[in-house]
Amino acid sequence: MIGNDVVDLDLAHTESNWQRKGYLDKIFLAHEQDYILNSQRPEISIWLLWSMKEAAYKIYNRLTLKRSFIPLRLNCSDIEMNGCECIGKVTCDENIFFTKTAVFADHIHTIAVVRPQDFQKVSQIEESIEIKKRNGIPYISGNDISAVSVSHHGKFLERIILMNS
Amino acid sequence: MSNEEIKDKLKSIVKPYVKNEEALANLTPDTDFINDLQVNSANLVDIILDVEEAFDITIDNQSMERMIDVKSTIEIIQNKLAEK
Repeated sequence: MIGNDVVDLDLAHTESNWQRKGYLDKIFLAHEQDYILNSQRPEISIWLLWSMKEAAYKIYNRLTLKRSFIPLRLNCSDIEMNGCECIGKVTCDENIFFTKTAVFADHIHTIAVVRPQDFQKVSQIEESIEIKKRNGIPYISGNDISAVSVSHHGKFLERIILMNS
Repeated sequence: MSNEEIKDKLKSIVKPYVKNEEALANLTPDTDFINDLQVNSANLVDIILDVEEAFDITIDNQSMERMIDVKSTIEIIQNKLAEK
């Protein structure tokens, strides 16, 4: 299983006003808000945690096949920033998802998996390959339905696959 | 407030966040904010905050989880208005 999420930072800056009253309370738990507000660049931290939640939600959605808006049930923890790469965990009910995020100047990209060793098996899907959708979940003909994830925001499109799953 | 009145008010609330104008013009109870109207998921929060302000209600976290389409949103607004 795999999930990914990309955030176009310029677009996020114009589309969302995170300083709006009540905004952070609706999507981030108290300890996550502490992390954000105590970080050097709160806006980057917001989209880092948000993309972790979104990537994890994409796996959770496949497990439950039920759509919902549950940012407060997706709990980010063990966040370790190392240069422009960040690893972390997102838990939801009894599920644990492992995340790896690349932070660039203009975008953020998170990949979520259910086993840490799966990170090595993630690769980009070639542009020529068509990705179809069934019940909103992307797949490639002939591949396991749970092995593909697509994320698009502004200028950025990320299409990834978990090999040999 | 009738469901129709709530729907109209909701339509004007979601408008600024919608990328698919055609789906907004043809809004139905089954219209999904993200899949049909192509609202960015981070803007769902804005819709929820705008709904709270416009109807002077507070949407609890459990209700928020279901606010992904028009039908559930109208139902939640009706419930919260009734509790006032």
